[in-house]
Amino acid sequence: MMIFQCEDSVDGIFTGVYDAWDSRIGHEAVALRIREKMDLELFAKYREVETDTQKAAKVARSVRSKMGQDAYRVIYQAALSANPEKADSIYRVIVRGMSANVTQYEAQNVIWNLQSRDVCRVFELSRKVGNEAHRYFQFVRFRELDSGVLFSEIQAENQVLPLIGEHFSDRFPNENFMIYDNGHNDCLIHGKQRPWFILRDTCPDEAAKDQLAAREEEMQELWKGFCKSISVEARENRGLQRQFWPLKFRRWMTEG
Amino acid sequence: MEIAKDMDLYQKLEILSDAAKYDVACTSSGIDRKGSGKGMGNCTAAGICHSFSADGRCIALLKILFTNECVFDCKYCVNRSSNDVERAAFTPEEVCRLTIEFYRRNYIEGLFLSSGILKSPSYTMELLYQTLYKLRYEYHFEGYIHVKAIPGAPQELIEKTGFLADRMSVNLELPTAESLRRLAPHKTRKKILAPMRQVQLSRKEHKNELMLFKNAPQFVPAGQSTQMIIGATPENDYQILSVAESLYQKFELKRVFYSAFVQVNQDAELPALPGGPPLLREHRLYQADWLLRFYGFGAGELLSEKRPNFNVFLDPKCDWALSHLEQFPVEINRADYYTLLRVPGIGPKSAQRIVKARRMGSLDFTDLKRAGVVLKRAVYFITCNGRQMYPLKVEEDFILRNLMYSQSRTPAETVTYRQLSLFDDDRMFGEVPQQLLQAGV
Ligand code: SF4
Repeated sequence: MMIFQCEDSVDGIFTGVYDAWDSRIGHEAVALRIREKMDLELFAKYREVETDTQKAAKVARSVRSKMGQDAYRVIYQAALSANPEKADSIYRVIVRGMSANVTQYEAQNVIWNLQSRDVCRVFELSRKVGNEAHRYFQFVRFRELDSGVLFSEIQAENQVLPLIGEHFSDRFPNENFMIYDNGHNDCLIHGKQRPWFILRDTCPDEAAKDQLAAREEEMQELWKGFCKSISVEARENRGLQRQFWPLKFRRWMTEG
Repeated sequence: MEIAKDMDLYQKLEILSDAAKYDVACTSSGIDRKGSGKGMGNCTAAGICHSFSADGRCIALLKILFTNECVFDCKYCVNRSSNDVERAAFTPEEVCRLTIEFYRRNYIEGLFLSSGILKSPSYTMELLYQTLYKLRYEYHFEGYIHVKAIPGAPQELIEKTGFLADRMSVNLELPTAESLRRLAPHKTRKKILAPMRQVQLSRKEHKNELMLFKNAPQFVPAGQSTQMIIGATPENDYQILSVAESLYQKFELKRVFYSAFVQVNQDAELPALPGGPPLLREHRLYQADWLLRFYGFGAGELLSEKRPNFNVFLDPKCDWALSHLEQFPVEINRADYYTLLRVPGIGPKSAQRIVKARRMGSLDFTDLKRAGVVLKRAVYFITCNGRQMYPLKVEEDFILRNLMYSQSRTPAETVTYRQLSLFDDDRMFGEVPQQLLQAGV
């Protein structure tokens, strides 16, 4: 067994797919692992995958054109998951779709193949990552710093930033904002009328992020007051509230 | 009635959100709209909940009244003219500032603006119009706006406002004209239905225009909704659901909301509700409403003159299946989409996945679990390749006992209608949240 060790990023995994396939060792005799999250296996040989954006882009392009945009989206999202088993399952799903003897029609349907364990895992991981990203559409809270920048801090389980950049930039084209994921130490940055981007392994300046704009506290008080007065006492139901709004999100939120 | 002049923004917001909280519609759904790149905001069709209040309800919009001053005297309403409560009014400027500042912090999806009747319906509607105008054209707000159409306001004013809003609603308030007469002496069914019809017709008209001119302004693109108060008057579930059904069919409403009556006023005309608001009943109505909109059921299939109320112990879908056992079991590998949808434990999402996965080979019970089917409920009603999961009796009493047993347990799976923007399949059926059982039964 030859194990390809990739970096924990979409490009890293896609490069791994490229290298493993390109090695011609045979799909049954190779496996993909995430470098930082693997146990050493007996009787296996290891090969380092050097992340190469061009190889990754080739894989992405072929998957898109043969397996379709929907399948690509599912695979891409799964690649952002915190689950280390994602790499190997993604490889197997791509092999299922991209092998020469598979027709385009079959390839487009691979992602619906519930009967396969790997397809199911990729689908499930992708769904979880997508759900978490949606949670951050809901629960990201910005505070205005004295520089006018809107700043938000989150602690995501999966790498959700690439999935929420578009939403917030489209929503706030004229704002300078930053979302810091302290779980991965990544920053999503958007400048007024500029495209968004992600800086990996970067944390914002500790002092700057607590220097609030003059009216910031007033706004926070107004919001907290609103959240209280909008609740109907006769229907109070803390259990339901907790169920929809887990503590791990509340911790980072203004009204939490 | 005096409106205090020196009230600060915090107090106003407290009073005017408190006064708006009994309106249950707080979704931001129904329209996908990207930002123009110039202003602020966009809309997502599925809707986004930003927070949850202590009653477990979703907070998506800045839900406020423009003023809680009111010249009407509806018996069920806190703001009625005969009540001695503190009154306040925003200025259009204040509403805009709050909306924008909340929105840019990602607290909300937009604004839900309603109002008591200040002076007259037209005067009030004019204020709402001005507020929306300012928000759209001076503040360049492109997020979601839900506004009330005030019955009795001039048509042109409602029309103009509709071009600024995403959703409009007129509350039906009570299910029958008779109840309305009794509890809302200043309102009539006719007056309420008039603007509802107007919004419906304008939407149609402007949809045609949109096909001709790409940039024609959109009129209430997310459609209209309404709400009925449940349990303040003696109508049964069958009557209420039939009203909802005809609102969907004849007025093309996007949503009908049901609001369990909360006793806010002492009045001889109002029922005493020692058990609190009828939450379980409200829950059942939402479940049934879901079945009307997404599962292809008709009101007459779920209830009848003879059996006019929902089963307290079983959700309407299981209840229906149990009284139609002759249509089961359904073979998973052959049944069409609509037949699958009628199986308890299978929702639109899992039915779709089943239909797609079948093309690649036949499915067994493990695959169904992966498709998101709630097997605990479905097992009684399905076969895979001609076989049941366990040898079970397809017999009413047996299934009923088992379903009820499972419904009274595993509260972990409990999800109510409010969270279903993601359509998490058949989970809204089945177990009743514990709190509802205590309060409603
Ligand atoms: S019109 Fe009736 S329901 Fe509306 S605020 Fe006035 S009293 Fe309340």
